[in-house]
Amino acid sequence: MKLLYSIYKEYKVLTRDKAGLAITFIMPTVLILIITLIQDTTFRSVNEASVPLLIVDRDHDSLSNTLEKSLIHSKFFVITKKQLTDEETKKEIATGHFFIGIIIPENTSKKLREKSSDRISKLLGSFSGDSTLVEDAHDTTKLNVQLYFDPITKKSFKTTISNSIERIISQIEMQSMMSSLNEKMKESFPLATPAKLETTPLVNLTEEYASYNNSTIIPNSVQHNVPAWTLFAMFFICIPLAGNIIKERDDGSAFRLLTMPGSYMIVILGKMLTYVVVSLIQFALMLCVGVFILPLLGLPELNIGNNLPVLFLVAFSSGLAATGFGLLVGTIATSHDQASLFGAVFVIILAAIGGIWVPTFVMPEVMKKIAVISPMNWGLEAFYGIFLRNFGLKEIFPEVAKLLAFFAASLGGSFLYQKYKRLK
Amino acid sequence: MSILVDIQHVSKKYKDAPRAAVNDLSLIINKGDVFGLLGPNGAGKTTFISMLCGLFPPTKGDIYINGQTHKTHSKECKQVIGVVPQEIALYPKLTAWENLMFLGHMYGLSGSSLKEKIKENLRILGLEENTHQKVLSYSGGMKRRVNLIAGLLHNPQLLILDEPTVGVDVQSKQAIIEHLKKLNKENGMTVLYTSHHLDEAEDFCSHIAIIDDGKLITQGATKQLITDNHCQSIEEVYLKITGVKFRDK
Repeated sequence: MKLLYSIYKEYKVLTRDKAGLAITFIMPTVLILIITLIQDTTFRSVNEASVPLLIVDRDHDSLSNTLEKSLIHSKFFVITKKQLTDEETKKEIATGHFFIGIIIPENTSKKLREKSSDRISKLLGSFSGDSTLVEDAHDTTKLNVQLYFDPITKKSFKTTISNSIERIISQIEMQSMMSSLNEKMKESFPLATPAKLETTPLVNLTEEYASYNNSTIIPNSVQHNVPAWTLFAMFFICIPLAGNIIKERDDGSAFRLLTMPGSYMIVILGKMLTYVVVSLIQFALMLCVGVFILPLLGLPELNIGNNLPVLFLVAFSSGLAATGFGLLVGTIATSHDQASLFGAVFVIILAAIGGIWVPTFVMPEVMKKIAVISPMNWGLEAFYGIFLRNFGLKEIFPEVAKLLAFFAASLGGSFLYQKYKRLK
Repeated sequence: MSILVDIQHVSKKYKDAPRAAVNDLSLIINKGDVFGLLGPNGAGKTTFISMLCGLFPPTKGDIYINGQTHKTHSKECKQVIGVVPQEIALYPKLTAWENLMFLGHMYGLSGSSLKEKIKENLRILGLEENTHQKVLSYSGGMKRRVNLIAGLLHNPQLLILDEPTVGVDVQSKQAIIEHLKKLNKENGMTVLYTSHHLDEAEDFCSHIAIIDDGKLITQGATKQLITDNHCQSIEEVYLKITGVKFRDK
């Protein structure tokens, strides 16, 4: 009965604090909306990205046409064609208007055809014993297609793009050689009606994201930001909870409650349960934002996986860890200001190292190792497991155990500190 | 008269403090007494009250309440005590009714008896019409009266009042003192009262103890103390014993 009334009192106090409620529920919603929108393009895989590319085509022939078609077909680039000088092209790239610039010099296609024809002639000549063709010096001059990259381009991305373009050009070269071969063969066998040579790749590269339990979801900004900022808001509850404890201590309520028969722990338990429920409501609301609101803004819909009981368990464990932390802050801090400052700074640090702002998979190795000390990282990893890998209880148990251990440690720490202060 | 509170050579020294906050204090409070505990700031009154309420144990000595100690019978000792802190220990965003219902439940009370008790006290202290207003909107005097009711809900045998009339209007002060006198007279409630209002203490208390630097300086029946010290009032006795120097600690 005491516990129920304690919860009821906390509920009344909380629901009458309109500003506090607004911060509790509006802050994470706004954070999720803003950060998800900001990070969406960054989170999209490279395949989905649209790289602005400038083509300066001075060739106007088969090579430039095929290259352009292949680049369009790759859905990798947004292509703009302009007639510019080399210097103007460099300037366009350097000023950030385009990510890549390609200059295809005049007569490149014509020269490519000539070179292909020469090489095929040499090859066939070697079969017919025409030594003059074979003994000719090798043609070492190369046709040049100039690429310019934005100076901010990362080396790895530049290599990927270069390789892609090089592969397209190689295909064009191969087609040109095949075409020359075809023509030479026709000259040698004028009555033959050869079948068209198949040029489709013989080896197919099958790519797939490794998934678990038949889940085929790939990471996106929504799947990161919704659980991440929900966890952040859950842990931010430590500030109102600590403030609540400190206020009770300052205004003599704690003194009065401690003089009453029965355990003061009931009052604390009532507070904690109330705040855990608040954190669960926060979680449910943020899931709704991910499922219903974000798609309206053109963002991907949050897929919450198939394991709702496990999802609830992770949310509940995270809520307990957050309230336990709030209790510890409220016990140790001597003033509301101290609790607000310490609580906020600590939550922000835990969020930063835990992969809330920047996901751990893009962090340097050393930070990935540090990230595992943050309770927010444990919660986030558990949510990733459920959302992305269809994990069940067995797989997320280590993370849940860590969150519960953190809660127990915070509770124990608060109790011991309180005891130490009273016996001092 | 039977003994309600028996303090035997109690001392309390906080860690790192240069001297004991309470030093070998012994006194007895009989049932039905209105006992005034007076002393300058830093004399050790709050430490003494905290030990009496069971918030922390003494470094030395024993405190007996109805013959029992907090060490062995914490729940029973706490059931005897009602506390009215100097601060307004109420939740401002709750109404008086909600505050008192919560505190009543924390004392283990419930149902119609609790509701009746709250209604009766609110009526006696003139707060009937403001029952369902948030405490936030109350005047200082109204808050003090609700603060007092919160300590009375479980009919304590010993009511501990820490500066119960500080910062209140004359009418509220009068209402509080009269209500306490009535409870003492009609119900035999024992009162331990601390205050800097020495004229109020002289009028209200049957017995007074003056402590300074953690030590008991003098104690006795109020009138006897005045006579023995050849003074006209408790204020004179107080100044004679504790001196006129400022106690800015």
